[in-house]
Amino acid sequence: MAKYGMLIDETRCTGCRGCQVACKQWNDLPGEETHNTGSYTNPPHLSAQTWNLIEYKEIDRGGQVGFFFLKRACMHCEHPACVSVCPVGALRKTPEGPVVYDDHKCIGCRYCMAACPFGIPKFDWQKGLLEGALIRKCTFCADRLSNGLIPACAKTCPSKAITFGERDQLIVEAENRIRKNPDKYVNHVYGKEEAGGTSILYLSAVPFEQLGLPKLGPAPVTTLSEQVMEYTLPFAGVWLATLAGLAAVFKFRERGAKQPEIGPAADDPHNKEASK
Amino acid sequence: MTNDWIDIKNADVVFIIGANPANNHPASFAWINDARNRGAKLIVVDPAFTRSASAADVYAPLRPGTDIVFLGGIINYAIQNKLYNEEYVKAYTNALTLINPDFKGPADLDGYFSGYNKEKRAYDNSTWKYQTEKVTVKVKEKDASGKEVEVDKEVSVPKRAVNLDDPHTVWSHFKKHYARYTPEMVERVCGTPKDKFIQVAQLFCSTGAPDKSGAILYAMGQTQHTVGSQNVRSMAILQLVLGNIGIPGGGVNALRGESNVQGSTDQGVLFHLLPGYLGAPTDANPDLKSYYARFDTTSYWANGPRFFVNLMKAWYGDVAKPENDYCYNYIPKSSGNYSWISLFQAMYAGKIKGLFCMGQNPAVSGPNARMERQSLAKLEWMVAMDLFETETAGFWKAPGVDPKTINTEVFLLPALDAMEKEGSIVTSGRRIQWRPRVAAGPSGAHTDIWILDRLAKALKAAYAGSTDAKDRPILDLAWNYGEDPEPDVWLVAREMNGYALEDVKDAAGKTILAKGALLSSFGTIALAANYDAIACGSWIYAGYFAPADDGRGVWRPAARRRGQKDPGNLGLYPYWGYTWPLNRHILYNRASARPDGTPWAENKKLIWWDAAKKVWTGYDVPDFVPTKAPDAKANPAGLGLAAQSGTDPFIMKADGKGWLFAPTGLTDGPMPEHYEPLESPIKNALSGCQIDPVVKLWDTERGKSIGDNVGTTDKYPIICTTFRLVEHWQSGTMSRTLPWLAELQPDMFVMIGKELAEERGIKNGDMVQVSSARGEIKVVALVTSRMRPMKVDGKPVHIVRMPWHYGWQGLATGDVANDITPHVGDANTMIPEYKAFLVDVKKA
Repeated sequence: MAKYGMLIDETRCTGCRGCQVACKQWNDLPGEETHNTGSYTNPPHLSAQTWNLIEYKEIDRGGQVGFFFLKRACMHCEHPACVSVCPVGALRKTPEGPVVYDDHKCIGCRYCMAACPFGIPKFDWQKGLLEGALIRKCTFCADRLSNGLIPACAKTCPSKAITFGERDQLIVEAENRIRKNPDKYVNHVYGKEEAGGTSILYLSAVPFEQLGLPKLGPAPVTTLSEQVMEYTLPFAGVWLATLAGLAAVFKFRERGAKQPEIGPAADDPHNKEASK
Repeated sequence: MTNDWIDIKNADVVFIIGANPANNHPASFAWINDARNRGAKLIVVDPAFTRSASAADVYAPLRPGTDIVFLGGIINYAIQNKLYNEEYVKAYTNALTLINPDFKGPADLDGYFSGYNKEKRAYDNSTWKYQTEKVTVKVKEKDASGKEVEVDKEVSVPKRAVNLDDPHTVWSHFKKHYARYTPEMVERVCGTPKDKFIQVAQLFCSTGAPDKSGAILYAMGQTQHTVGSQNVRSMAILQLVLGNIGIPGGGVNALRGESNVQGSTDQGVLFHLLPGYLGAPTDANPDLKSYYARFDTTSYWANGPRFFVNLMKAWYGDVAKPENDYCYNYIPKSSGNYSWISLFQAMYAGKIKGLFCMGQNPAVSGPNARMERQSLAKLEWMVAMDLFETETAGFWKAPGVDPKTINTEVFLLPALDAMEKEGSIVTSGRRIQWRPRVAAGPSGAHTDIWILDRLAKALKAAYAGSTDAKDRPILDLAWNYGEDPEPDVWLVAREMNGYALEDVKDAAGKTILAKGALLSSFGTIALAANYDAIACGSWIYAGYFAPADDGRGVWRPAARRRGQKDPGNLGLYPYWGYTWPLNRHILYNRASARPDGTPWAENKKLIWWDAAKKVWTGYDVPDFVPTKAPDAKANPAGLGLAAQSGTDPFIMKADGKGWLFAPTGLTDGPMPEHYEPLESPIKNALSGCQIDPVVKLWDTERGKSIGDNVGTTDKYPIICTTFRLVEHWQSGTMSRTLPWLAELQPDMFVMIGKELAEERGIKNGDMVQVSSARGEIKVVALVTSRMRPMKVDGKPVHIVRMPWHYGWQGLATGDVANDITPHVGDANTMIPEYKAFLVDVKKA
């Protein structure tokens, strides 16, 4: 089976944020209430409502300012740390490339957040634990891929900065671009080897650390996280027991409370029409 | 655009000046990037280091309002270093034409051209005209007995020299004029470091080589100045000098500000135009004869009177007859300038009773918007047709306004979005694409055509039975686009395309278009003996809705085609939609070949003369008489294109040449000359003439806070320019209401350089007050390295930059940038000077 990836050529990106909006549209994510705090980057960080974010960077290039745009979303690692730390197997690396998660299994423990070297998984802080607060992140549009469509961000990119394709071929393409324009690019394809390789690959005109991507070795982060997990599994058991206890208390309290009226939840995207 | 969006990929150098396509035309970057992949270089010249600049190979800053100096500097660089395409210049431009010996230019007259009248603030352009000579030609005429005889006729033609440097040639004046625009002058006036300027000039002038092409992309950064028209002229001149007009990857490309603004301009929404760029009658043309006299007789415009008749047949049907001058007297004759600023001045003076605002939001988008909102309050009634309640629709409840004091009756008619209705949309590249309705709108909202159909029918009913002559234009209007529930937009398309009311015959009596058939070319109009048997609402659209092959043998209305064949692989895609005129994708493409008809270079070939078949052939539809040989001589006594030769590519010009020097058509000079913006921090370094000498200066309520005040550097030392963001759309009506876009750019802000912020003690994210002679606004400060102070005429000058999308309605709100822009417009078009004015900035 083909293993997919996306090549993000930062020299072609114009920071238009078409990908950021397309992601929200496809995934039915709400707009966040934001403010201009002196930056174009908005919302300020990835969140449960924002899975793909353009970060704007002004970088001094020898007296001349450079303006760069980092597309930040899940890297879909070849050896994902989030998968290896998930105590309940909610996160999974598919053979096609996407790292996906199962809401029915997720218990909201947030180990994946701690383990991810890129700081990608986000927790839905707007919900309490017992309201089914879950981990959220880019899914590589696994639902689109399985229906023969390319990811929403790649589909919408007007400047063709995002190329979707088979990972192996994208690496060849990326290396070709560097070979053809050695002055234009840093001589490195980010993600080819970082953390054991990622599905998302970057080309850039400036060092990747300046863009805000972490400097990582070729070893998968999983090796480390698996060691940590040896100690944390017993702890997770205790944590689960605590949660179960808390749940019982809440259930007990709810029994006494009046049942809410049955109706569409205002924030349920599937009930948009009904709630108008 | 003279060229097309996709054609940008064929350029060797892409030069963006006065535009920010990464923000405002993001899809264009696909083609810019394709060109860069081929090895093309990108130049961006802009006061700010924009998102477009981030992709540039060469970025050069310039002070707002100094484009004529920058572009003039490049023209001079090309002249001085002989980088121009001499063969092109000699054959295809008016460089060799002789000018009236009395002509004097700014180099002689301290910034003025000859013919200036100080009292009238206007030019008499008689000294700008061509020298003419009389030639005697043999013409066939019928004598008294009706027999055809050959007689001698004396005709006056423009006089041309043999050598470029002969005295009084356009070229000699041109050279002298531009000699003043030195790299040193560019640095002094524009603030661009000399070495940066030379880098740009060298790179762009490299496209003067026959096997290279350079495209200029521009937008409102060029036009929204008191010298906007001359800015655009400068780009056209530069491209003519380098031989970049008519060839793939060249051109002067206006990146239009809205997805269908090209289509609306084509349909004559500007006050001085009728559909198809036929000039609108003025009170200088009281009768049809005087109106017809406005059309050139030695260019394709010789057919203008025919196109006008077709338009009147479309509007008035059988009522339009030769006996009543085809209802010419039904068309209003304008008696002055009716552009935006003038309209709002008249409204403020109480001269206008009612206003229809269709998809426009002047409360946010107009210059000195506070004054324009007060103008709205002087109306008796106002109708807003829009998707949302805009600031204009809700002007009566603006912050600080007491609704009780507003007497204007306001109606809001909910309209449907482009996706919610069927119709055509025209790109900047003149490509007309028919689009289906793809979404249902909210109930109660209607298409524009539904609203206008009801309005027209109601007006006809209201005037029914009237015998008053002034009501005839409404009563006689041919209005037949179907009945409820919805008028048929295909019938509108048919009328715009044009069709035969009777069998149309040529001079020999042969039927060339059967009754009821659609025009497939405006050539039929030019050929027809009984041309008044054709109704055509827009001659340039003739053929756009006629059945045409989509390249796969499937015939459908041309604008609905989606064929993807691309002969020549230039990205012309001639089977996709329909590009007016006549599906020509690159205008003036006769110039893509040398005077002898062979391509300038193999890699730039577009059309060429096939000597064996005696026809122009190639990848694009020739913008030329297809059978006119390169060596064809002009017949000075001929009508229309017969008066032009085989080397006259500019068929819409009376002499068939590209004008380096415009003997007519401009109010403020035949060549672009730099003048400072109305509000400027420096004295004009080029001459003693500070501002464009024919600009109309308004002085309504001068001295009052909302009046036509002019700011000076003692109070307002900082230059301000306005711009648009990719995240919002125009006045924000369609984007500030969408949560996904509101979250991206939630608040009104001003971009301030770090140096200015430090001087004023402003921190990133602080609230600041931006004030001008028209008032002040409070906005967020975005402190950035992308704005840098410039050294202009030896002095440091700060520049700040504000988006103009914000208002008080919707989800993302903020103060209105245009509350502080000046009410002054371009000398020729009156487009407001939004791009350069003076402000002060301090911590709020």
